[in-house]
Amino acid sequence: MKMIRIAAAVLLVFAAVATLGEKYIAPAGYEHQFRESPDASPSSQHPLGTDDLGRDRLARLLHGMRVSLLLAPLAAALATALAAFMGGLAGYFGGWVERCLMLLVDVFLCVPWLFLLITVRAVLPLNISPEASVVVTFALLGFLGWAASARIICAGIRDMMKSEFVWMARAAGFSGFKLIRLHLLPNLRGTLLAQFWISVPVFIITEANLGVLGLGVSEPLPSLGSLLGELQRMVMLRPEPWQFVPLIVLIIVVSSFQILLGKHEVRA
Amino acid sequence: MLRTVLLAIGRLLAIMLLASFFGAMLIRVAPGFSSDEQQLNSGLSAQSIHAIREARLANSDIPSYYARYIASLLRGDLGISQSLNQPVREILRDRLPITLRSLMIALALAWLLGLTLAIAAQIVNSTPFTFLSDGVSGAFISTPAAVLALLFVLLRWPPEFAAALLVFPKIYRYCHNLLRESYELPHVLTARAKGAGPWRILQWHVVPTALPQLLALIGVSISIMIGVLLPIEVVCDVPGIGQLAWQAAESRDLPLLVNLTLIVALVTVCATMLSDTARSYFTHNPESKSDRRLLSMIRWRSAA
Repeated sequence: MKMIRIAAAVLLVFAAVATLGEKYIAPAGYEHQFRESPDASPSSQHPLGTDDLGRDRLARLLHGMRVSLLLAPLAAALATALAAFMGGLAGYFGGWVERCLMLLVDVFLCVPWLFLLITVRAVLPLNISPEASVVVTFALLGFLGWAASARIICAGIRDMMKSEFVWMARAAGFSGFKLIRLHLLPNLRGTLLAQFWISVPVFIITEANLGVLGLGVSEPLPSLGSLLGELQRMVMLRPEPWQFVPLIVLIIVVSSFQILLGKHEVRA
Repeated sequence: MLRTVLLAIGRLLAIMLLASFFGAMLIRVAPGFSSDEQQLNSGLSAQSIHAIREARLANSDIPSYYARYIASLLRGDLGISQSLNQPVREILRDRLPITLRSLMIALALAWLLGLTLAIAAQIVNSTPFTFLSDGVSGAFISTPAAVLALLFVLLRWPPEFAAALLVFPKIYRYCHNLLRESYELPHVLTARAKGAGPWRILQWHVVPTALPQLLALIGVSISIMIGVLLPIEVVCDVPGIGQLAWQAAESRDLPLLVNLTLIVALVTVCATMLSDTARSYFTHNPESKSDRRLLSMIRWRSAA
């Protein structure tokens, strides 16, 4: 198992390095059109061929991976920060504050997340710039993906409020946000980190789902989701395996995260 | 007991109302809420277009719309869909059974596959088998629902299978961890040391211990399955609730989306509550059926 974890970590590092070295691996760039060779098969110039607009698939894949690998952690950080805030407030104050906030959490958890996300994204404008669409997509993931973590953090804070060191801190005059910031949240660092890392692969997959449905990152900017959306143009399964490379890359990246996070898996 | 039931019902109602109100607010703030495709129809007279616009604007004050909606809901009237121009009740009557059927089939398949693999991994207890089952579940857990749905459309396979393949890894992983922990419990080790066979151990010692948590997972799996069915129905063109929700969101159909959110919240909360009730029953009631079977078996063994 240890070897598999090492292999997963190596694969992730390799993917990250590849996205950073995009200019050297695929110098054509993700938006340059080779108009004389649309839908080209793999060649030495285009190792994964070109899409229907003549853009180099490898360059688009590397750039799309960069978008996902950079912004999914940012969205996860936002979701974890929101969860820490809401869960922290609920656990610290308890009583009706906790009941109200946990009711809000229940509302978010009871409406399936993907249903909520797709509905929210569908009602937002689609005619925005590609850069804005990236921000909107991943900000939405962050704003809507905090609920499950908030419940775990609330339970952690509630337990901690009964511990001796918190009683001593309160006796020494610490209260309110100072107590939360200096004593409670630092002791929840492990839980927060686990929640953060668990959210990253979930957000990568969710962005891919949105991309396939046409609600993700706008053209010409690529993301793993928008690249997978190209599969919709296939009328039938043709012998063009290179078209499935983005899917295989996505599965490898997300599986690597899952393997590394194996011990942090949340029990239902 | 009565207080617990009343509290549970109160919580259910609060969640449903908040969820549907949230859905209504979303539609209200969405761009294009006050416009309708029919306004572009050149065949309509100015009065008709004005009437359409007025009808849309009548729903723009969300609190008053929502109060009217709740009042009519209590009378059994779910309103009229703005985009389909049909009573919501009729639309739901046509679409709900399709999604419920898909949900049942996919859930049954996912549980069959996930639980069978988890049990097999414990009984076979071989590294290659566990590696293979972990690998297969890992591949499906990392596949976006919409992509798998797309592949199933291309292969012309039933969409329920796609939903089952997407949910089974979660069931498998949870059951696998749970069974592994149960198999390490002292009474199971004792039973094994005394020579009990794998099926006997599973039936009499492992399942009764793991049952409460497995029941809790049923509720969670229903919620996950509803989430998975939405993109699958959209991509595979299944005329169910998921596709309807998609169309309602795209056409800013307020009455339809509010009702759909209410239904989805109701199904999910009810499933979770039933699972929790079953879990607490099997956890706290020492005279539960499985325990009685276990006790009778121990007594029979002692007598023998």
